[in-house]
Amino acid sequence: MTERTSSRGNSAATREAGDGCEPDARFTFANERTFLAWSRTSLALVVAGLAIVQLLPPFPGVPWGRHVIGTPLILLGAALAVISYLEWKTNQRALRRGEPLSRSRLPYFLAFTIAGIALVAAALALLSELSRL
Amino acid sequence: MTPAEDIEDTDPGLARERTELAWHRMAISFAAVGGAILRYRPAAGLPILILSALVWELGRLPRAPGGGRSRERRLRLITAIITGVAFAALIMTFIGHGSGGPP
Repeated sequence: MTERTSSRGNSAATREAGDGCEPDARFTFANERTFLAWSRTSLALVVAGLAIVQLLPPFPGVPWGRHVIGTPLILLGAALAVISYLEWKTNQRALRRGEPLSRSRLPYFLAFTIAGIALVAAALALLSELSRL
Repeated sequence: MTPAEDIEDTDPGLARERTELAWHRMAISFAAVGGAILRYRPAAGLPILILSALVWELGRLPRAPGGGRSRERRLRLITAIITGVAFAALIMTFIGHGSGGPP
C-alpha cells in the first residue's frame, strides 16, 4: 500500500476530500475497468440464461429443464452486477484511505455457482436420457 | 521539475484510454445483446439497443482526474441497467416459453 500511496502519479491528483484523499487516477481507472469487466460478465450470464430458455430445444421428458438451468444464470448475472458495484465502492474507499484492498469474493462466487449449474445440467441431461428408455 | 508538473500526474494517459475502450466494449456488448434479442423479441431488444447508445455516452470520461461523484453515478446507472435487463430477461423466460430453437 505504501507503494500505491507514494507513487509518482499520486502527488498531483491527490486532494483532500471528505473521505480520505483522491487516489492516483491510474488506480481509479483500473478499479473502474475491473468493474466494467465484471459487468460484461454479468451481461453475458444474463444473455446465456435467456438463450438457454428461448433457443435450446426442450429436454425430452423434462420440460422444465431449460428453466432450471437458465433462471439461475440470469439471477447470477443480476447478483454479479450488484456485487461488482459494491466491490468497486469498497475498493475505491480503500484507495482513498490508503488501506489495503480487500480480497474479491466474486471469482469464488462465480466459479461455485457455475459449477453447481453445470452439475444440474449434467443431471438433467442424464434424466432426459433415462426418460427416453 | 516538481512532482505536480509531471505530465503523468495531470493526465494518466493510457489508463484513461484503456478505460474508455472498456466502456466502448461495454456499449458494443449491449448493442450485441440488443440486436440478438431484437430478432426474437423486438419490444425488448429495441430498448436495449437504445441503451447501448447511452452506455457509449456514459463512457466519455470527464477530463478532470477526480470526478468521484459523477463516476459513482455512472457506475450505479450501469448496475441498474444490467439489473433491469436481467429482470426483463427473467420475465421473458416465464411469459413466453422457448420456441425450441431458432426459426
